[in-house]
Amino acid sequence: MAYSSEKTQEQRRGFLDPRTKLALVLILALLVMGGLGGNSLKPIKTALSALPFLLLLIEQQWKRFARGIAMLVIGYGLLFAMPYLPGTLNYIALLCGGILTRFVVTIVMGEYLISTTSVSEFISAMERLHMPQAITIPMSVMFRLFPTIGSEWRSIRRAMTMRGIHLGGARAGQVLEYQLVPMMTSTVRIGEELSASALTRGLGAPVRRTNICRIGFRVQDAVLLMGCLFVIAVWILELCGVNLW
Amino acid sequence: MVELKNISFRYGSEERQDYGENSLSGIDLIIHDGEFVLLTGPSGCGKTTILRLINGLIPHFYSGSVDGEVLIEGKAVSSQELYDTALKVGTVFQNPRSQFYNVDTTGELAFGCENRGLPEEQIYKRIDDTVTRFSIEKLMDRSIFHLSDGEKQKIACASVDVSGPDIILLDEPSANLDYEATLALRELILEWRRQGKTIIAAEHRIAYLWDLIDRAVIMRNGRIICELRGDETNTLTQNVLAEMGLRSTIQESPSSISLPLFLEGDEPLTLKGFRLTYSGAKEPVVNISDLTLAAGEIMAITGANGAGKTSLLSCICGLEKRCKGALVFKEKTYSRKNRQKLCFMVMQDTGNQLFTESVLEEVLISLPKNTENEKDRAEEILRALDLEPFLERHPQSLSGGQKQRLAIACALASGRRVLLLDEPTSGLDYAHMMETANLLKQLQCMGTTILVVTHDSELIHACCTRQYDLEYLNCQH
Repeated sequence: MAYSSEKTQEQRRGFLDPRTKLALVLILALLVMGGLGGNSLKPIKTALSALPFLLLLIEQQWKRFARGIAMLVIGYGLLFAMPYLPGTLNYIALLCGGILTRFVVTIVMGEYLISTTSVSEFISAMERLHMPQAITIPMSVMFRLFPTIGSEWRSIRRAMTMRGIHLGGARAGQVLEYQLVPMMTSTVRIGEELSASALTRGLGAPVRRTNICRIGFRVQDAVLLMGCLFVIAVWILELCGVNLW
Repeated sequence: MVELKNISFRYGSEERQDYGENSLSGIDLIIHDGEFVLLTGPSGCGKTTILRLINGLIPHFYSGSVDGEVLIEGKAVSSQELYDTALKVGTVFQNPRSQFYNVDTTGELAFGCENRGLPEEQIYKRIDDTVTRFSIEKLMDRSIFHLSDGEKQKIACASVDVSGPDIILLDEPSANLDYEATLALRELILEWRRQGKTIIAAEHRIAYLWDLIDRAVIMRNGRIICELRGDETNTLTQNVLAEMGLRSTIQESPSSISLPLFLEGDEPLTLKGFRLTYSGAKEPVVNISDLTLAAGEIMAITGANGAGKTSLLSCICGLEKRCKGALVFKEKTYSRKNRQKLCFMVMQDTGNQLFTESVLEEVLISLPKNTENEKDRAEEILRALDLEPFLERHPQSLSGGQKQRLAIACALASGRRVLLLDEPTSGLDYAHMMETANLLKQLQCMGTTILVVTHDSELIHACCTRQYDLEYLNCQH
């Protein structure tokens, strides 16, 4: 059968609208990572923390799911073991455990946002939020650069192994510096070439862009966005000194 | 019609009045509708600069001083916005890794049309049409990070095709492609020829389109030195081509060269039990149970994209943790970790393996600990590779060929006896390719064993003495 881009775009539609994902990242960053909100938000925070993992399962991102869970287990394991550890180790365990349990959930949510949203979906969502092009375009370039930076980083690490520069080897102190030199030149070069290519394809024209990707709010978006509103409402009430439970 | 009228150009900044040397001097060129023009000449001759003047990246993105004018259908490119030029001119760039704005292929095809605000139904129709004509159904709805370079370049061509410009510019599109992928690119260009598009290609590797062109424009140092009509192109002998700094016009598959794998009297270097399967793949990408190569020779490793050439090099080098296997050399068996100290790989992206702030320091960190007279030894190596004038330069500011030399200098400094190179001559002109070939011969004389993964038949003819063709041997099993 002949290829139909319209049909496949419909099939590829993500579970959530990118705007919902952005809202969730923001809420998690404020409450779970940022630690805002007091005791009465505790049960809500626990429920929120489970959300990114649930979403990863729905989108069948098994690897990311497993990695996230593993990091959390390590984090809580360290906090659990902390009281039984002697002196300095105690401190290190507390520090690592604290950082992991605080950051992992939000990072997993961010990963979910980036890995399940195409650049075109992202631009489309930003336009519907009436963001000006001056913000949308640089942000979308960053969106595109993240995975590229990842692959450049891996390629440079391999090159360092081959040159015999590694932690524990000669010149261990300079490992980070050595890594950054090629990293910066290659990122700048790739960014420049990307911009040149996008400009020759008419990015930035003063017309209303169209988008072939399908986005839009559905039931699941409505439920989650209502949830976000609810969380914010509880938080504001708490700030006003109202004790809910 | 594209007209370049008495164009001279220097890269540099207008504000600081700080310009480099002339990249173009007094170029006059008229390209008619439906014509296929090849711009060729040694590196730095200005062919890419001409393409940038036509698609408007000069002066709108790359700054410099332009004299003369470039007109497309009578309108000056410099005075119209890039997005207006984009309606008439589409460009396929050299580097397949950095020309995609989207992460998925279908989004990429739609990108140009989305930018100009075409209605969605029309974009779907255009994409489906291009996909059918280019036969790329299999590449749709994929992540561009999972495509080979050849496949990426097909998507780049297809995304230009969806936008449907009348003028198509190709900026060394084959630089990263192997023999088969280059033939596939030729088919796409033929498709554009049938539609009557105007095509302007800047290329070193001219063999794959030599018989398709209407005109060849040969450049050197920013000037046009010679123009040939399509029917005159046969009059040039290979020697004249080489004198003009051009690559061969004979299309030859590297697999068909068939040099010997191992001759009697060669010193053996044996690979045992090399097997690597990427996660998610069914078939192993590297699968060698027992293979004897000739040490002290320059061995070409050939085979199509995806045959596992680069993966094989990483395995030999000891960079793949999942690949077990042992290398036996001079009656000593090298495990993975030990191979890291025996082998040195010059990667395709040489910039990613240079870490320091000066050429000298780069070599110094490669010398084994407690070397006596470190500095003299490093300078001696750099002298042997003609890098002495650049001692204090920042490695990242060197040209591609010089970076390659520097990486090889590091290999020599670290005393590695097996040198692996991954496509060292992709995108190099004739003179630079010969320089690399001569350098490899020089290293061979110093007793280094050299394995070079390449799709460059000319390089194989110029210096290789043995050959290992992956596909051919895989078929034998």
